[in-house]
Amino acid sequence: MNCHEFWNTAPQPGAEAGGDHACHLAECPACAAKWEHHRALTAGLRLVAEEWRSTEAPARVEAGLTAAFRAQHGFERRSARPSWWMPVLAWASAAAAMVVISMFLVRGWQPAAATREPLAAPPRTGPATLEFASQQQDGAADDSEEDSSGFGRDFVRLPNAARIEPNEDVNLVRVEVPRSTLIALGLAVSEDRASESVLADVVLGSDGMARAVRVVDDGGSLE
Amino acid sequence: MPPFASPNDDDLFVRLREGDEQAFVALYRRRQGSIYRFAMHMSGSATAAEDITQEVFLALLRGDCGYDPKRGTLAGYLFGIARKLVLRNLERSRADVSLEADGEDVAIPELAVHDNALADLTRREGIETLRRAVSALPRRYREVVILCDLEELDYADAAAVVGCPIGTVRSRMHRARALLLEKLHQDRNPKLAVGPLKPMRYAI
Repeated sequence: MNCHEFWNTAPQPGAEAGGDHACHLAECPACAAKWEHHRALTAGLRLVAEEWRSTEAPARVEAGLTAAFRAQHGFERRSARPSWWMPVLAWASAAAAMVVISMFLVRGWQPAAATREPLAAPPRTGPATLEFASQQQDGAADDSEEDSSGFGRDFVRLPNAARIEPNEDVNLVRVEVPRSTLIALGLAVSEDRASESVLADVVLGSDGMARAVRVVDDGGSLE
Repeated sequence: MPPFASPNDDDLFVRLREGDEQAFVALYRRRQGSIYRFAMHMSGSATAAEDITQEVFLALLRGDCGYDPKRGTLAGYLFGIARKLVLRNLERSRADVSLEADGEDVAIPELAVHDNALADLTRREGIETLRRAVSALPRRYREVVILCDLEELDYADAAAVVGCPIGTVRSRMHRARALLLEKLHQDRNPKLAVGPLKPMRYAI
């Protein structure tokens, strides 16, 4: 084995050189010295690795991801009903939506006290998100006609979810869920498109539990 | 399998796809540290590392995450996603070193004998100096050093993450070590010519 072959096939410096490699090191002082420097440098890098071994992602990342997992799979569990329920739920949801729209048209539209821009859907919590969430919470208390859920018009409160307290630290996580899961939120979904995916923003409370959801990209009509 | 053996990554992956939250948490806790540190070393930013770690594991939750056990390990898959996100982040922030020095044909400093610099590596300040030197490496050398030396992947796994032949990883490691020794030597002898490396900021 020559020097070129040695370096082209050398084991990682953390490992012992054996066989032909050990023979070459015994015969070639230049490569032996170079190899020792590789090993010394690797040992130093291992010390750097040890120093950083305890460095981990902040706990809030796990909380957010766990909540996203619950939101996604919670939806899926809710949607895993016998198939004959699907059209019934779809028609019931459509009827409920018609009633709400009719009431809205009969009573007339009343402008909100303040204009609220939809969220820019950041991938994780930002100051704007927190401010928006608390604004929505405040707004809900002032104007129950406009938003009885407490999360703003874009968001649909999840069944049995607690309200967001003022100044509560919330997270916004974007997940991809099957379109059929939206039935659980009372939205009408066409059977033909029930298996497609849709992006949704999930509002997570400080306890990591999902509170509300908003469809981000529904590809046009849900139906 | 022994009764108390922990499930491997693929078992956990299958279970998490079935909705097992404990499997997801176990997998996250097993792998998040190395992903976070990789992103941290590569980007030099704790905030970016946090975002990248979150994005990597969110990708696992997607229905079309694309992980195939036949094509590599789950750890390699996670590192691969993290690497893509890091590169995107570096392009956005333009905090990376110019790639002009990244060509495969760049002149390689000889692996000179710098015994004093190596002796320093056992001291705390020597370790910090070495960490800074790693951060100052051009990106393509930095990533293989982080993967192979700091996160202890073997060359084959690192090659899968980087998407290049194993021989390329080997040669990049060789060059990276030469650059690191050169950098350590320069730090001990500031009057020597400064190479093309530029230190990155660490925002911890």
